[in-house]
Amino acid sequence: MRAFDYAAAATVDDALKLARPGSAFLAGGTTLVDLMKLDVLTPDRVIDVNSLPLKGIRLHAGALRIGALERMSDVAAHPVVTAVHPMISRALLLSASWQLRNMASIGGNLLQRTRCDYFRDVTSACNKRRPGSGCPALTGVNRGHAILGTSDSCVATHASDVAVAFVALEAQVVVRGKDGDRTIPLDDFYRLPGSTPERENALAPGELVAEVVVPTLPWARHSTYLKIRDRQSYEFALTSVAAAVDLKRGVVQDVRLAAGGVGTKPWRLRAVEEALKGGVAMERTFADAAESAVDGARPLAHNAFKTSLLKRSIVRALLDAAGVR
Amino acid sequence: MIGQPVDRVDGRIKVTGAAPYAADTKVPGVAYGYLVTSTIGKGSVTAMDTAAALASPGVLAVYTPFNPLKLFAYVQEQNDERFPPLQDNEVRFFGQAIGFVVAETWEQARDAAGLVTATYQQQPPATEFPGRTARRFDEVEEVVGTQALGDITFTATYTTPFQHHCAMEPHATVATWNGDHLTVYTVSQGALLVQRRLSETLGIDAAKIHVLSPHVGGGFGGKWGNWAQVPLACAASKALGRPIKAVLTREQVFAMAGHRPTTEQTLTMTCTADGKLTSIVNDGVTSRGLGGNWSESVANWTLTTYASPNIRVTKKIVPLNLGAATVMRAPGEANGSFALESAMDELAEQLGVDPVELRLRNYATLVPNTGKPWSSKHLDECYRIGAEEFGWAERPKGVRATVDGDWLVGTGMATATYGAGRGQASVKVRLHPDGTASVSGTAADLGTGQYTVFAILVADELGIPVSSVRPELGDSTSPAAANAGGSTSTGTNGPAVQVAAKAVQTELITLAVSNPRSPFHGKDPATVVDRDGSISSGGVTMSFGTLLTTCDVGGVEAVGTSPRLVDPEHGYRSFGAHFCEVRVHRLTGEPRVTRWRSVCDAGTIVNAKAARSQIQGAVVMGIGQTLLEATEVDHATGRFANANLASYLVPVHSDIPKIDVRFLNHPDPLVSGLGAKGIGELGIVGVAGAIANAVHHATGVRVRDLPITLDKLL
Repeated sequence: MRAFDYAAAATVDDALKLARPGSAFLAGGTTLVDLMKLDVLTPDRVIDVNSLPLKGIRLHAGALRIGALERMSDVAAHPVVTAVHPMISRALLLSASWQLRNMASIGGNLLQRTRCDYFRDVTSACNKRRPGSGCPALTGVNRGHAILGTSDSCVATHASDVAVAFVALEAQVVVRGKDGDRTIPLDDFYRLPGSTPERENALAPGELVAEVVVPTLPWARHSTYLKIRDRQSYEFALTSVAAAVDLKRGVVQDVRLAAGGVGTKPWRLRAVEEALKGGVAMERTFADAAESAVDGARPLAHNAFKTSLLKRSIVRALLDAAGVR
Repeated sequence: MIGQPVDRVDGRIKVTGAAPYAADTKVPGVAYGYLVTSTIGKGSVTAMDTAAALASPGVLAVYTPFNPLKLFAYVQEQNDERFPPLQDNEVRFFGQAIGFVVAETWEQARDAAGLVTATYQQQPPATEFPGRTARRFDEVEEVVGTQALGDITFTATYTTPFQHHCAMEPHATVATWNGDHLTVYTVSQGALLVQRRLSETLGIDAAKIHVLSPHVGGGFGGKWGNWAQVPLACAASKALGRPIKAVLTREQVFAMAGHRPTTEQTLTMTCTADGKLTSIVNDGVTSRGLGGNWSESVANWTLTTYASPNIRVTKKIVPLNLGAATVMRAPGEANGSFALESAMDELAEQLGVDPVELRLRNYATLVPNTGKPWSSKHLDECYRIGAEEFGWAERPKGVRATVDGDWLVGTGMATATYGAGRGQASVKVRLHPDGTASVSGTAADLGTGQYTVFAILVADELGIPVSSVRPELGDSTSPAAANAGGSTSTGTNGPAVQVAAKAVQTELITLAVSNPRSPFHGKDPATVVDRDGSISSGGVTMSFGTLLTTCDVGGVEAVGTSPRLVDPEHGYRSFGAHFCEVRVHRLTGEPRVTRWRSVCDAGTIVNAKAARSQIQGAVVMGIGQTLLEATEVDHATGRFANANLASYLVPVHSDIPKIDVRFLNHPDPLVSGLGAKGIGELGIVGVAGAIANAVHHATGVRVRDLPITLDKLL
């Protein structure tokens, strides 16, 4: 950890004014402080935003609105969240640990950095951390890495669970900068690595995530968030699937699907959704539709199993969400 | 009192945070040391630039191979590093200590360490483990035996990965000098190991070194040796005239403080048509980290487990550019039993014989490789009781026969055995005027329950409550007791505690009849009885506390020594059997252990509660060994790529089912009067085999490569 200045902002305007190149916003600190200890992030100024009025969980104008500074544990337990979008609650509760969920904010969760062990080790090359230095994960230890959305520059997985649920539910983020608010669909907020893996999202320097807006979708109460991992708790996903199914007389009317643990960003599975619509809700239908989930997948030496595991996870999640056996 | 369930005497201070672990030690004026480590896997350091670090705030000194602290060569093998740190500029592995920064605060030392730069002459590190196809290896040890043929032949190869101990407490050392006397607070499985090592490498008399290691937050073999921070903290403290504290980071623990080596075993077994083994051959290959000397005799468990007229094991050692491989809970047996116990299950299936039955048909009534009788062995009873209580008889014969919802259910079993014996130990017991007793020896409690064993045995011998006994461990000035390793603590120290407690009663009676203030003054010692903490004679009874007060003496004490057991006529081992149930999801393949029963024959059990915890802890560690744990090497650099507790997975609570443990509690009549054998390592032996066998029973998939992760079951 390097020496840094600390400043606490009382208002959003203060926070935006304090921001400058080399500064970082501090909310729960569960990513920032962790990476500062590893020297992966070395901000010279840390701006504490915990006192900003970016809080509140409410239903408004057909959408669930979650303030960026709401803690993961508070969102997961909130009665409006569990009533309107139980998938969000489930995704949060399968993330991290109680202690971390009590600290980590929703805004920070969406901005959390990858768990790639090369990114987190400053003696290693990493295009995300040191652009142009190379990607040892391509040929190194890569069991946990992405198979979708990868490039020759970066194969790091996006680590968030709740972002996968948000993408499935077509959430938007409100970001606030000196020029006012912008509202961006979360799916567009995240960038693919391409040749600039250091740029992970649409946030401009000095902008803050202010709010997450999730449209209501009554049938999405029939949903699940499935997380597959080696140990049963406190691990990032090998694969995860957010699934919601609208069934009428056993036929899929509509469906939402997104996957985690496999993509360089939360991975909406639109082709699978299209293949499912109009199908009879049964395992065979789900398995056939899941085939297209891995179109364009680029498996590496140690993560080839994820193509099979992703398809199987989709089937399992759909069986759960649709309540069929 | 022996064998009752007794709460740990050190439990309260541990859960309240009052127990002083090495890193908690507060010494006035302490400075902090931080290691600089190599960022290449092989080569040499040609130059180091320390100017920026030396100019950094609070920095007192920066030591490097170009500005070293003088350390002499290590002599005693401690299964750790071959060379003292900073004495040469060769880099043998990634993460090797190449510098030591001392500053006023830990943060300043860490900050300055980040400013030190090294220039290397770099070579490609050798880190890929080729197994038996290795072209370069240290030696082939032809261990014993011959090869023969039978009616039926089975052969298969089993592999295991690098693993790490992951004790919760990182390695920490605090050194302080008073003139030419050194006091060192450090993590250790044996205070005398530290004293010996420091005496050698600092070149000073052992009598001038006082080692204190009263509480250890998990060792598992990783704190047997003395890693780089120990000599560096002590030598720098001398050089700077300041007490110094050095604590390794978790990554440094992974890189330099020992690991379980990667292994391969090729087992070839022949047997008659009715399943009697005619030969067992185990060709073992183990890695050795070039940072150390130690390697694992992975095949040797095969020598003593099943009866066979022909047994042959070999060992090939492949040196790699890694830190020292070292002992890790049941070194040799944990990996060795995975192969043999899996192979026995595979052979049972090939023969169409129940796995328990096959083991009984090959039951070793004599030590298989020597033909000598056992001191005691009740393994057959372990099988029988385990099978009954587990419900083994209802087990379907075929694989993939039980489905519960989306989960495939299977069961498996395996044998556990681990060496036993008795070394020499000395222990001191002292009786105090306040009616308490203290008992001391250099022994270590790594969380094992050794403190409580000492307290129980003294309380039992003196007839006083356990709460009246104060055990004092981990101090090098105490009498020389057993280090905590090889599951020998209770078997070796227990008899010495009993001898010392008996001796102190003799001292007490001597005092009672010889001290003029004593009411028993002048009595014939033969008429004086010491019972339940009191002295009686001729109708007068007085507690020892009152007697000591009356006589106005500060206490009486005695040192008792229990000699090493030398018995060339018998084989000594602890035994056990594991039975488990595993569920594997039919779609996504996660293996989950859902039921566990272990039955152990480990002689006399001193504390039923802590002993059960020892077996449960070993089974938990075995579940990690089998399903989760593997340290992956980045071969381009030689770095352990997942050297942190987020990426190296140890089990969490939800991975662990209820673990039922039963001890047969048959005293071993030959090991000692106490009859206790070891239990620290027994519990992990066979765990991997039992789970692998249950996974196969559930799914029909045989996984011969640990860990058994879901990708191997899709």
